[in-house]
Order: sequence, then structure tokens, then C-alpha cells
Amino acid sequence: MKKITILNGDIHPEKKIFSEYIHQVEEKLMSEKLEVHVFNINSMNLFYCKGCWSCWWKTPGKCDIQDDGSQIFQSVINSDFIIFASPLIAGFTSSALKKITDRFVCLLHPYIQIKNGENHHQKRYEKYPDFGLILEQEADTDEEDIEIVKNIYGRLSLNFHNNMRFCHFTESNKPEEIAHEISHY
Amino acid sequence: MKLAIINGSPRYKNSNSTLLMDQFLKGFSSKSEIAQSYLVGTENKKKALADFVESDTVLIIFPLYTDCKPGIVKEFFESLLGVENSVQKRVGFIVQSGFPESIHSEALERYLQKLTKRLGHIYLGTVIKGGVEGIKIMPPGMTKKLFGQFEKLGSYFAEFQNFDPKIMKQLRTPYKLSASRIFFFNLISKTGLTNFYWDMNLKKNNAFEQRFDKPFSV
Repeated sequence: MKKITILNGDIHPEKKIFSEYIHQVEEKLMSEKLEVHVFNINSMNLFYCKGCWSCWWKTPGKCDIQDDGSQIFQSVINSDFIIFASPLIAGFTSSALKKITDRFVCLLHPYIQIKNGENHHQKRYEKYPDFGLILEQEADTDEEDIEIVKNIYGRLSLNFHNNMRFCHFTESNKPEEIAHEISHY
Repeated sequence: MKLAIINGSPRYKNSNSTLLMDQFLKGFSSKSEIAQSYLVGTENKKKALADFVESDTVLIIFPLYTDCKPGIVKEFFESLLGVENSVQKRVGFIVQSGFPESIHSEALERYLQKLTKRLGHIYLGTVIKGGVEGIKIMPPGMTKKLFGQFEKLGSYFAEFQNFDPKIMKQLRTPYKLSASRIFFFNLISKTGLTNFYWDMNLKKNNAFEQRFDKPFSV
């Protein structure tokens, strides 16, 4: 484990609590001698996926949208581990985080393979980094919400040929514990 | 019934969601007032939120993105948190995907049910339909059954203000690929035929030779 990309989907960074926590995770990872790249999605110039499929059949592997997406794709695909970080909002990670996740289709190949009796898109790259979730709960978050989020990110890992290694919460885990765990993968 | 239909396709009006919605509305043909809106663009988003507030029944249709709702649909859900609930609404969803099997949409379905509850509304269910990509270019014979099902879904909805459970069940099959379908896929994949749709479009765009490019490898 050498290089980590953190995708911070906080959409209210002015509230500071969540983004401050993520900043601490970043620092603790660095003190574990890891290379860390943090993207604060909400403050970047990013557009939503248009479903145009240029990245599949016009400019293979490249997204047609001219914005900051490329830096994120480049960092993600060349990392050893990804952290999806977001406060839960309406029972799920933020629209900002989903905005960039939708566009990860450019990292896959359109060709289809069968896995677990399901259709999936084939790999474009040899290796897709495993990922972990760091979430902040809402006032009304319950066990069912957490199960649903894990379920949906489990689907993401099937699609992206990788593994979800953890789902941690800012309420119950210390930044140094998470950093320590990651450094031992 | 005051019905609002919100189309969450990132492809805006030129989408498979729109094609299916048109069939639904053909069957619906009731005197009820229908407000239609989209989620692409700031003005459209405002209209969608206003339509949601002013209606008593809401249908939200969108494509499956990474086995989940697309980002713009999530953004819309977030905007609903700020809405004062004066009336409890009846809310249903239609999720369509490229892959044929409904297992891809199952986790999302749980989310949509929970979201409706969280917002304090009545959940009408989620219609799940896979295998939708490409319907725009299919000859009418190939889409006749699917379009007929959506038309029936619309006429049933006009009469009962709910989704027809029989059609819902038909639409969500297969759940997973059958053994025979997997066998068939493996057989024809050796001929390259399973890549036909992609290859055709890659060639049309003079991009076939670049199809395995890895632009972000360092």
C-alpha cells in the first residue's frame, strides 16, 4: 500500500466538522508514510455524466466533458486504495460524490462479461483499487440505512472488479485507527 | 389525482426513460392533470421541485447508474429534505437499466422505499425494467411487447392510482441470468457477436482501433 486517493464528498465544508475529520485522516495516513491525494469534490469544477458514452465509443477511456474529472480519474486508477468520504444526506452519500462516481464508467470497458450470473462490464485497466467508506451519520440514521448504503457500495465493487474493505463512521472511529488499518493492507 | 412525472435521465428528453414514459402516458390518457419535468438544468430542477410540492402523486423515472441513482437524481432527493410536508404524497419510481437482470437494481429499490418513508410519504413501489439500452434503434417489432406493457402500466395507474402488480412482476424478470442464457452468452462470445453493438458504434466513430486504450495509465 503506497498511494491513497480520498474523494471527499462533503457538500457543506463550511461546517468544517466532516472535512476537518477527513483532513486528520489525510495527516495520519501521511504519518504512516503513505502518499495521499485528497479531492474536495464540491469545490472542483465538475459536471454530471450526460450518458453520452463518448468514453466508450468515441474517445475510448476518455470522458468528453472538459472539467477537472481527468485529474480524479488519473489519481483513482493509479492508487492502491480509494476512500469514498461523505456525510450521509437523505440516507446516502452526497450528490457531489455520486457525480464523480457516475463518471467512473470511463475507467471500464464497454464489452460485457458474466460474473456471478450477472452481466458486468469488462476491465479497461488491469487493476482497480479496493476502497473503504468514511461516513457521517444523520440525526435519523438507523441500521437499515447503513445496510442499504453498504449494499449499494457492494454493487459498486462488483461493477468495478474490486473489494469494499470497510465502512467506518466519524462518530465511532478515530482518524488514526482508520489510517493505521489502511497502512496494514 | 394531481400527478407529477419527474424524468431524471441525464440524457434529458432524448432518453430511454422518455421513450418509456411516453408509452405510460399513452395508456394513462386520463383527464387528470399531469405536470412533467426534468432534472437537467437549473430551471428544470426548480420546476421539478415545484411540481413535486404541488402534486398529490409523484412518479420519478430514471436510468440506473453504477447500480444506483444517477448523481442528478440524488441531488433532487437532497432538495426534497428542505420541503415542508403539508400533504402526504403517493410516490412511485420507475428504474430502467441497460443490463437485463433486475438484481442490479435491488439495493437501490430498498433505498427508494426507505427514502419515501424518511420523507413521510406513501411508497407505491418501484417498477424495475432491465435490457432497455438500444430500444431507440430497435425495429418496432422488438419493442412492441415492452411498449405495450408500459402502456398497460399507464392505463392501470389512471384507474387505480397504483402500479399494476402483474406487469411489475413481468418487467422485473429475469432476476439473474438463467443457466441457458449464460451458456448461450459464452457460446456466442467466442464469435465476438456479444460485442456487436459496441463494435458497430466504435467503428462508426473511427475509434475501433483505440478501443482498448488506457489513457490514465502512468
